[in-house]
Amino acid sequence: MEEVTPLQDVMRQDDATRFAFRDDRTRAARLAWQARIFGAYFVQFLKMRLAYRVDFIIDTLAVLFSLVIQLAVLSVMFSKVRALDGWTYPQVLFIYGFSLVPLGLFNLISVNLYGFADEYLIGGRFDRVLLRPVGSLAQVIFESFNVSGLSEIALGLAIMASAGLKLGAHFGVTDALALLFLAPGAALVYLGVFLGITTVSFWVEDKMGLAPPVYNLIRFSRYPITIYSLPVRLFLTFALPFAWVAFYPAAWFVGGERFSKVALLTPLVGVLVFGGAALLWRRGVKNYVSTGS
Amino acid sequence: MEPLIHVRDLCKDYRLTDRREGVRGGLLDLLSPRRRDLRAVDRVSFDIQPGEMVGYIGANGAGKSTTIKMLTGILTPSSGEVTVGGMVPWRQRQQYTRHIGVVFGQRTQLWWDLAVVESFRLLKKIYEVDDATYDRQMKLLDDLLDIGKLLGQPVRKLSLGQRMRCDLAAALLHRPRVLFLDEPTIGLDVVAKENIRGFLRGVQEREGVTVILTTHDLGDIEQLCRRVIIIDQGRVHFDGELSELRRRVGQTVRLSVDLRDPAASADLAAVTVGLPVNWDDETGLRHVARFNRAEVRAADVIRLVVNDRPVQDLHLAEQPIEEVVREIYRQAAANNTDSADDTGTGAAK
Repeated sequence: MEEVTPLQDVMRQDDATRFAFRDDRTRAARLAWQARIFGAYFVQFLKMRLAYRVDFIIDTLAVLFSLVIQLAVLSVMFSKVRALDGWTYPQVLFIYGFSLVPLGLFNLISVNLYGFADEYLIGGRFDRVLLRPVGSLAQVIFESFNVSGLSEIALGLAIMASAGLKLGAHFGVTDALALLFLAPGAALVYLGVFLGITTVSFWVEDKMGLAPPVYNLIRFSRYPITIYSLPVRLFLTFALPFAWVAFYPAAWFVGGERFSKVALLTPLVGVLVFGGAALLWRRGVKNYVSTGS
Repeated sequence: MEPLIHVRDLCKDYRLTDRREGVRGGLLDLLSPRRRDLRAVDRVSFDIQPGEMVGYIGANGAGKSTTIKMLTGILTPSSGEVTVGGMVPWRQRQQYTRHIGVVFGQRTQLWWDLAVVESFRLLKKIYEVDDATYDRQMKLLDDLLDIGKLLGQPVRKLSLGQRMRCDLAAALLHRPRVLFLDEPTIGLDVVAKENIRGFLRGVQEREGVTVILTTHDLGDIEQLCRRVIIIDQGRVHFDGELSELRRRVGQTVRLSVDLRDPAASADLAAVTVGLPVNWDDETGLRHVARFNRAEVRAADVIRLVVNDRPVQDLHLAEQPIEEVVREIYRQAAANNTDSADDTGTGAAK
């Protein structure tokens, strides 16, 4: 007599439903579920970091130390600058402070893009990513975090506050709301640009050499764009849109009438740049050639 | 019944770039790369019914892994169609992967630095396994794989055999309908191999899961699979039952005879004259006869020898499966050369 376990009973009941593969959930339910997964990924990441306790403590100390150093360097740097092409020192300082917020957001989630070609494509981790029922890009981005991004955000907010005081400006609820839209929008511009560069490694085997020089160009974005000649301005606005990561959005707060409308385009530019890169990514995944074995 | 897995004319071409030597070659490569297409999988077709356990075998570079990667949605084929449970793996990847389990013997899918149980909990969230199912699956998998003691340990501290047990458990947590195993026993010792095979038999009986297994170890196939598909240079050369494979290759058996008194092999050949039996050329006490079971009955050979002279011992063995598969490869290679010759003469005309 064959022993029928409860499991086998269940099997027989749901066999019919199991046979047809399908997913009846609504789009909203799927999104909510994905958000929960990435929360779980973040918790997992923290646990992993805490597993190496000494490393974690050293990292935290290093982040604090670099914060202090950066503040010192800044105060020396800006003690020399009084005004720049009609922009006052507090205005320039504010733009600099703002630029750190989206940069911090971007650095927080972009660590895996730098090692993507080596670790995921050549190292073979991308196979596993594709075997999970979660978006591949989201998995890669949320599998690792750079916690020092948080300190950049904090530093940026502090600089903006102190520059704001010097400007004598009154920031209200509208400004806080604007920051909530402009900073993530600007971060999307960063993410889109570097994702686009990363995606190239789906087609080109060679290691990604483009990211570091492009990363260095970010510093041009921290100054008022009006100090540059027209070709540079056009380049930073349309070709490599780094004007949108700091100057344009920050100008909403300190640029007066002239830039307030342009600034509000930042989230749109972010969505466009990131959307284009994400489409490129999808094509890359189709073209993905796994490693042997 | 409608097949669960349906594969038709599946092809995958890889574009290779041949590198030239030296600095000048490097520059030339940059300007005009020498590209050629390599067909890794060539018009592969098969159907698999629900509940089957199929061995997919071939030498290194035969196209095994490429096929599996297309069936699991990792790679997009160059042409051809695949449906599994009505879904196209690479098009509906995210939904599709909820219904399959995949184990790559060479790589773990667990988080390296975390305790095993943490990986399981994350997978539970990813695959949305409800608590009741999770508890039941964990109990079943612990019964079959004995992983209870390993759950608290970080994956990096596990032995290869332990890790493989945990990987198998991870792949089955969400009760997949289809299980893809790529070299599940690679690098394992005899005992660990036996454990894994026993587990696969058990889980197949109890869960009714459909299994596709690629392996180098034909012991896996012999113990687990009724059906084998043999692939070489991207093409299917055999698809059928293991017994049919033996029959097709010739199903040679090997009879070794220990005589009480020394004799020459010619003496024994004289005893079985009239039957298609080959005796290895030896003198002394031990002699070996080879014959095809379809043509000669072993009992006849044994009776003739035993009636003729005193025999100490007899041993009858099937041709090892390795030899059978090697024979298929040999035939496949011969066919390939034939077709290459054909095109050669065609071009000359």
